[in-house]
Amino acid sequence: MQKQFYTFFVTFFFTITASLLFTSCEDEISPELEKADPILVIDAWLTDQPGDQVIHITETQPYFDNTLPPGVSGATVSVEDNLGNIFLFQEDATIKGDYVWTPLPGEVFAEGGGTYTLKVEYNGESFVAGSRMGRVPVIDSLTFTFKEKNSFLPDLYLADFWATDLPGPNDTYRIKAWKNGVLLNKPNELNLAYDAGFSAGGNFDGGTFITPIRQAINPFEEGDKNEILSPYVPGDSIYVEIHSISLEAFNFLSEVAIQTNRPGGFSELFATPLSNVSTNISNKDPNGKPIIGFFNVAAVSALGKRFEQ
Amino acid sequence: MVFMKQGIFFLLLFILTASMVQAQNKLTINGYVKDASNGEALIGATVYVKEINNGVITNVYGFYSITLDPGDYTVNYSYIGYKTISQNVSLVKNQEINMDLPIESEQLDEVVVTAEREQANVENMEMSTNKLDIRTILKVPAFLGESDVFRSILLLPGVSTVGEGASGFNVRGGSVGQNLVLLDEAPVYNSSHLFGFFSVFNPDAVKDTKLYKGAIPSRYGGRLASLLDVRMKEGNSKKFEANGGIGSLFSRLAIEAPIIKDKSSFIVAARRSYIDILARPFVPLLKDGGALNFYDLTLKSNYTFNRKNKLYASGYFGRDVFLFDANQGFSWGNTTGTLRWNHLFNERLFSNLTLVYSNYDYKLQFGDDDRDSFKWNSSISNFILKPQFTYFINSNNELDFGGEAIYYTFEPANAVGISNGNVIDVSLNKKYNLETALYVGNRQTINNVLSVEYGLRFSHFQSFGPGKSYQYNDTIPGLRRAPTGFEEFKKGETIADYNNWEPRASFRIQSSPTSSIKGSYNRMAQYLHLISNTTASNPLDVWAPSSRMIKPEIGQQFTLGYFKDLGADRVYEISVEGYYRATENQIDYIDGADLLINEFLEGELLDGVGRAYGIETYFQKKKGRFSGWLSYTLGRTELKVSGINRGNWYPARYDQLHNLKIAAFYDINERWSVSSDFVFVSGTPTTFPTSRFVLQDILIPYNSNGSRSNVRLPSYNRLDVSFRLEGKKVRRGKDRKNTDYWVFSLYNVYGRKNPFSIYFSQRDERTPQGTPINSQAVQLSIIGTVVPSVSYNFRF
Repeated sequence: MQKQFYTFFVTFFFTITASLLFTSCEDEISPELEKADPILVIDAWLTDQPGDQVIHITETQPYFDNTLPPGVSGATVSVEDNLGNIFLFQEDATIKGDYVWTPLPGEVFAEGGGTYTLKVEYNGESFVAGSRMGRVPVIDSLTFTFKEKNSFLPDLYLADFWATDLPGPNDTYRIKAWKNGVLLNKPNELNLAYDAGFSAGGNFDGGTFITPIRQAINPFEEGDKNEILSPYVPGDSIYVEIHSISLEAFNFLSEVAIQTNRPGGFSELFATPLSNVSTNISNKDPNGKPIIGFFNVAAVSALGKRFEQ
Repeated sequence: MVFMKQGIFFLLLFILTASMVQAQNKLTINGYVKDASNGEALIGATVYVKEINNGVITNVYGFYSITLDPGDYTVNYSYIGYKTISQNVSLVKNQEINMDLPIESEQLDEVVVTAEREQANVENMEMSTNKLDIRTILKVPAFLGESDVFRSILLLPGVSTVGEGASGFNVRGGSVGQNLVLLDEAPVYNSSHLFGFFSVFNPDAVKDTKLYKGAIPSRYGGRLASLLDVRMKEGNSKKFEANGGIGSLFSRLAIEAPIIKDKSSFIVAARRSYIDILARPFVPLLKDGGALNFYDLTLKSNYTFNRKNKLYASGYFGRDVFLFDANQGFSWGNTTGTLRWNHLFNERLFSNLTLVYSNYDYKLQFGDDDRDSFKWNSSISNFILKPQFTYFINSNNELDFGGEAIYYTFEPANAVGISNGNVIDVSLNKKYNLETALYVGNRQTINNVLSVEYGLRFSHFQSFGPGKSYQYNDTIPGLRRAPTGFEEFKKGETIADYNNWEPRASFRIQSSPTSSIKGSYNRMAQYLHLISNTTASNPLDVWAPSSRMIKPEIGQQFTLGYFKDLGADRVYEISVEGYYRATENQIDYIDGADLLINEFLEGELLDGVGRAYGIETYFQKKKGRFSGWLSYTLGRTELKVSGINRGNWYPARYDQLHNLKIAAFYDINERWSVSSDFVFVSGTPTTFPTSRFVLQDILIPYNSNGSRSNVRLPSYNRLDVSFRLEGKKVRRGKDRKNTDYWVFSLYNVYGRKNPFSIYFSQRDERTPQGTPINSQAVQLSIIGTVVPSVSYNFRF
């Protein structure tokens, strides 16, 4: 994550230089890939927020199969907390592969922290994972700042979220942002924090989240003429959540960022080999079928704002 | 430790006394061999004594010494591209003969038949080495008009690169960090400008380069794969000379002149790119404190006190600068300084004392106001003291011995971040290390058929405090190990130390006057590690010293080769060499490794073993109107690391099965000449996914076999051509004092889009939650077109 940021910075300069000299070129290709059997995928990211909690169970697809991942029905899904409470997830009637826990009135999933165990039974095999819910700081405010145009960027408004890491080291967070109700979910929009900085060695405990994290809630998109658009304009709304994630989840998402954020061009000089991300759900039977999936229970703080001038 | 030093001492004593016995009543001829036109010492010139059918070659300072019985001899001095001079010597007392060789006149229909043939590779003790003098380097087609040392090296057998833009080069399956690159004996830690497009060596200041890929003599050590020895010119000691050029990328100027004729001279050479100057009108950012350039300055001077004492001082300073504005940007560069003192104790004992300072650093800073910024410097610097002695015992024995001490200071990160006004220092501790070595080696001619070279190097590496040494937990191989505790060390306390014996041996069997068989064995230890897990090595890569957790890399290499000269004048040379190298403690990285500014870097590293083997064939036509070479290497490079590729062998990123290169030079007429090179290499390995899955609305590639390097990129091939037009020699009926020439070159003539990588990603488009995500595979070519260029070069 940290590295990606620096190398982004370096490649940025390099790209400019290189583009003055010659042009790299990219072609989309369709190489033949090795065949592989589908593997079960469990996407179990739960929160302490009111409302339904959903776990998605799907299968891997061939890499170039651009359809929705096939949902898997017939699994038994439950989560148990350290107090012995069991939350049963029911198969959704409409969306195949979705397993939902619906709270009774007044009931909230994962209230007050603790540790949680996920159990999934499918086709005679059982899969398990554990997660400890971390803590999360409040978001104090959201601001929009006008930046005058420079050589690379036009006049634009940048959003910052302002929050301070909780004192005590080794808090790990994921920051999710929605612009006008749409989740910013591109690989390069994955926003992670280790304390208030990028990584364990960073020594950023207890501080204000550093600028590149604060400002990673700005979507940079191009308009019709390939011009860069201001991430936010008056009238837009923004909604930001900080999720506490486990260290394993932080490492997992860092790997996801490395594996999926491939802007191409000269940044390929800095790319690392493709490898499988390390997930935390395992088959109880070590000789059983392989499983991919991640289980995390997050405490969430949130704030929204409409940009009014 | 003491015992080991004694071991070296006794070996030395043994060789000395054994050969002293025979050395009675002998006389010595010694001296320097130089270029008659400019006084530059000739490295590797042959001094051949007809009567004993044996000879020596000059060392890197142009010095030779040969010890014979009293009598009459015919001594031939020769060097490729120069006239051979034959001298009759009546040896009744020790004699000093300094020889200035004139350059062979460059006539078109020339095939100068020299009186005596030159000593060819066949008769040379060395194997697995390639020498490129600057005249060859200048002939190789240039990229963007700039002749470059690396571009020529990449055309040699056994040398490869992962692609355009990658820093450094790979030798016989070694990584970039396993090459020791020396500029006048100073290690250069990053030898590239503009990432990997150019080397840091200014061709105007380079005299000679030699690449050792195996059979490395005991006087060198510290890296597993190769040694690139770049020697700078000393400066014209006869007259003022200026060389320069204006190219499409940079301009350069070198001035050299005698300070005191034949006693002292200097050279100053400078280059600067002017991308930013050219681009300024188009790129507004450069107007306001921004910069995009690289430059270097090379200096050297020498002074001859008397026939026994000579002093050389040389220095290099180079930097690449990428500044976004006055406060934000990135820069890196090397600084080196070398002081050398040649001293002749007597006719037969030559010594050189070298003092070196070398530093590599990079700086990165961003943030445009005082409340939010980030600054980061990283550096490696060292001081080296290196006494070296050569004892020319007799015509059959040449003994090298000496030592080396290198003091390193590593600063992995001196970094300060400011977030919302809070200053946070994220610097890492400096690391201090001392690497020392003692060596002895003897080159011995046993009879007309057999010669041997044997030696021993003892190396020692110590890392000491102040510092911390962390312990880490054990985990499943391939996962990050977490620190479990640490031990703190006071200043000067030893944290870790390692010793290694490094035996070196080689032989040559002269199977016929025109053919020989050579073989060698090397054991090498490497205490510094280039930490890099990216496709191509890049300037941000950090060097890390060996520690308690990071063990020294050890390599053992065997080579066996056949060398043959062909043709009436032996203008053709052919060689076939096989090599096998096994390495231990090779570094690889966990998936998702975080290698920068990481106090717990050791937890991100994996170690394993490596093997590299192959056959190099080389065919060269050395002289004539048409010259050039063809080189073909068939090789494999594999690693086996617990935690990667399910613990099985996998090809290294720079593994290339076939590697074919052709370089050809042809003189069309008096003014025009053409050079061309062609490269064909197998595609390098890469990893393709088999499947995809979606987690948290992100499309993630997956390889269901967990394999690394399961596919190969398409092969790489490229043709370059360059034309050289000599300026008129006569103007208005008079001979011109100045010479000049134009070089027109085309890089990648047929504009092939050679793949650098193929990557898999989701398309860059906004995908609402719950809708299908589109995947893609993209093939990237760094240079996808023909790149033309022109340069104008002059000399006066």
